[in-house]
Amino acid sequence: MAFSIEQIRNFAIIAHIDHGKSTLADRMLQHTHLVDDRTMRDQYLDRMDLERERGITIKAQAVRMPYTSDLDGQDYLLNLIDTPGHVDFTYEVSRAMNSCEGAVLLVDASQGMQAQTIANLYVAIEAGLEIIPVLNKTDLPAARPEAVAIEVAGLLGGDPEDVLRVSAKTGEGVAEVLERIVADVPPPKGDRDAPTRALIFDSEYDAYRGVIPYVRVVDGVLRPRQEIRLMATGFHNEIDDLAVISPEVKPIAELGPGEVGLLSASIKAVDQARVGDTITDHRHPAEGPLPGYREPTPMVFCGLYPVDSDDFPDLRDALDRLRLNDASFTYEPETSAALGFGFRCGFLGLLHMEIIRERLDREYDIELVTTAPNVRYEVELEERLRKPDEDSVLHLSNPAEFPEPNRIAEIREPVVDAMIVCPSEHVGTVMQLCEHRRGEMRSMEYLTEERVELRYLLPLAEIIFDFFDKLKSGTRGYASLDYEHAGLRTSDLVRCDIMLNYETIDAFSQIVHRDHAYEYGKAMVNKLRELIPRQMFDVPIQASIGSRVIARETVRAKRKDVLAKCYGGDVTRKRKLLEKQKEGKKRAKQVGAVEVPQEAFVAALSVDRT
Amino acid sequence: MAAARQAAGLYVHVPFCRHRCGYCDFNVLTGHDASLRETYVAALRQRLGQVAADGWPAMASVFIGGGTPTQLTAGQLGTVLGAAREQLWLREDAEVTVEANPEDLDAAFAEGLAAAGVNRVSLGAQSFDAGVLSFLDRLHDPATVPAAVRALRAAGIAELGLDLIYGTPGETAGSWAETLRAALALEPTHVSCYALTLSPGTPYWRQVTLGQRSAPDDDLAGDRMQAADEALTAAGYERYETSNWALPGSRCRHNLATWAGGDYLGVGAGAHSHRQGRRWWERRATHAWLRGVDAGDPVGGGEQVSPEQQRTERALTGLRTVEGVARSDLAPVDERACRDLVRAGLVIDDGEVLRPTRAGLAQADALVRALLA
Repeated sequence: MAFSIEQIRNFAIIAHIDHGKSTLADRMLQHTHLVDDRTMRDQYLDRMDLERERGITIKAQAVRMPYTSDLDGQDYLLNLIDTPGHVDFTYEVSRAMNSCEGAVLLVDASQGMQAQTIANLYVAIEAGLEIIPVLNKTDLPAARPEAVAIEVAGLLGGDPEDVLRVSAKTGEGVAEVLERIVADVPPPKGDRDAPTRALIFDSEYDAYRGVIPYVRVVDGVLRPRQEIRLMATGFHNEIDDLAVISPEVKPIAELGPGEVGLLSASIKAVDQARVGDTITDHRHPAEGPLPGYREPTPMVFCGLYPVDSDDFPDLRDALDRLRLNDASFTYEPETSAALGFGFRCGFLGLLHMEIIRERLDREYDIELVTTAPNVRYEVELEERLRKPDEDSVLHLSNPAEFPEPNRIAEIREPVVDAMIVCPSEHVGTVMQLCEHRRGEMRSMEYLTEERVELRYLLPLAEIIFDFFDKLKSGTRGYASLDYEHAGLRTSDLVRCDIMLNYETIDAFSQIVHRDHAYEYGKAMVNKLRELIPRQMFDVPIQASIGSRVIARETVRAKRKDVLAKCYGGDVTRKRKLLEKQKEGKKRAKQVGAVEVPQEAFVAALSVDRT
Repeated sequence: MAAARQAAGLYVHVPFCRHRCGYCDFNVLTGHDASLRETYVAALRQRLGQVAADGWPAMASVFIGGGTPTQLTAGQLGTVLGAAREQLWLREDAEVTVEANPEDLDAAFAEGLAAAGVNRVSLGAQSFDAGVLSFLDRLHDPATVPAAVRALRAAGIAELGLDLIYGTPGETAGSWAETLRAALALEPTHVSCYALTLSPGTPYWRQVTLGQRSAPDDDLAGDRMQAADEALTAAGYERYETSNWALPGSRCRHNLATWAGGDYLGVGAGAHSHRQGRRWWERRATHAWLRGVDAGDPVGGGEQVSPEQQRTERALTGLRTVEGVARSDLAPVDERACRDLVRAGLVIDDGEVLRPTRAGLAQADALVRALLA
């Protein structure tokens, strides 16, 4: 069935984790009769196991729902563009928002607005979307729909009465939401006769067909066999297949202005079809691309090393393959004296890092040692001590590569604009945490009497460890966090090294603020003392800045490590026992004669810094 | 090594025990009768005849171990040794050791052993602490040990070893010192001190698993080992292996040759042999072994030791001895680990040979893991 542009409504759902976005989407699929009750399953649109398990959306989705209005009896085409819901993927969210004309703002009626929801709401407002506020879970005993409606209306500048109320779980109120979308969300604007312009708002990777971009057509049309060009990367090829998801993938003969779908064009690597790029006709190209394209920039880095060094080639293959469907992470080979050959990888954020790690583990079955995450620093060198072939400013994402302290003129670190929303009773705790993490307060605003929005300028390095956990535990789970990158700031940073048995272990080095170095060093040596098993001799663990030792602990030696008897000439049995022990040792890393278990390398993650 | 190649050792396994001690995972058989023992002795004679065809070099030592060899009569042990002399070439000066339980040794038994050519006896004294002996399920009364020693001396057997066990739960530093003192008072030529080991599958292991008894503690065992080393050294004994001390000239030559990678022939149920890089073992279950001998071949399995495995074995046995191991036998050595170990005072490195120090002997297994690159 073909739809005119006036019949199309493109919308997103903005919601905090667990506020019921996937459930609402499920009910919409049912109410529009796209999925019958028999084939329904929870989180119908989330395809990755990882998404279902964690209850989060990692990849965007676009589902086409033909709908006949109960009110005016007209046919409409609703396109739900499901966006990822995490701060790591803010850019993807913004591209998805730009593919819509409206957004459902879904808020849990007992929890109220969360920082992430507010941040995404701003993205939506900036993109000029019509916002439809909806309270969910109004049937729960803890719901306080009146108060939350006031909060939402206050933020949007509307009337609390206009806030819709639903129970996505039971389906109550879902019909009203669909009607409101039909009535309030404007149809897309676009010129069918203009040169083709379509926005890529996400993509997935198919082993047989290559990269499958998700697109929203703005002007012109897309058809199978059409020769297209990607304006940012220059890639061009013929469209093999054109399809929509409704709710399974269905081929379609044409996508016109305002329509949403996916295509395949034998695109080999995600690098060639990036989120935010514009697709145009190769022979009749548009004059310029759609605005807003940005290259993905990794912000968080860590070293990934195979537990078994024989797995190094496998790890490289796995990263090559993962990279095919995720253009936003980077990896470069590096070597560590302690860990051997591995890669320094860059990610959009911590969740992104966890996802990649978990996929390596699950899909490729490679056991990894991950070093503590850190950010990328700009290090300006002291001019007179600069080596002839050295740049005056170094960009370093591995603490081990930092030059000697005396050669550094200045270190600049990335900072973020963080927004924290929390109940007013916890403001003190949150402020304390932010101050301790070297935050500078920018503003504080009461959303309602009970809820406060705090804005801080915070070093990114301070929030990639355990900031969120601390924030949650300090506010009994009520605070929420969102941030955007805000450039670099000069800071008094030093490299804290850890020595085991008088040898510096490069993989343990970390960049910390000078004022926190002592506290950090002490926490690290304590943690390592717990994690490193007793050895044949006393093993001193020291933390140092340059040559100055700031903390020290000792792992006491074992008194005995030998089987008492080697009897009856049965050497075979003893040898086999040792060979088994050596297998176990392979999993630990050897530093001289000291065995360091893998867990020690992520110790920094669990070092209590507050 | 060269000397070891010229001569070999003979090991004879006697699987019989009166009962199985709770901690023991050796190859033993209880509930046997006199006719089975007689059959076993006959089978040993037969087996010695079978292996004679393999052309072994001169035997510089014989070691009859178990089990409890003294579950056989002195006469039966004499028969076995006689068969060995008939079928193999036993050197005139061969060291001939029998492991013995003190309660089995009276004057007549001792004289029988001496008459059979036994010149060294290793006595399973274990402890002079009655509480420890009872924990270990050892049936003898500590007072039987001096009597056994007297009997052996009277019979002219000069080389006398005492085996002791430390680290038994319930033992104290004081009771261990007392055991050492009592042992030294008997003026043995050789002392072995073994840490009580928890072996999977034993009754003791089951009790530990069920939480009924406590497991041996490695740190405590380390302290006891050191106490033993100090007491024995003070009394003039030299430590030559992790668990072995001897007066000058009284080291166990059979074991030394085994640890040095020498060749040895093992006969009897479960006995292991080694010859020029090949290892094999006879069937473990006594009845299966008896049937095997009857059929002409009781060998249960074997392996060709690869060069890499040989290197591991050299490290395993060599780093337990004060002689240490030649670097060339260990190559490649993890040099970084080696430097750490030298610095920590666990290993002495003269560029040719790596020798464990006293502290190193207590950590020999860890040394092996660290040094083998």
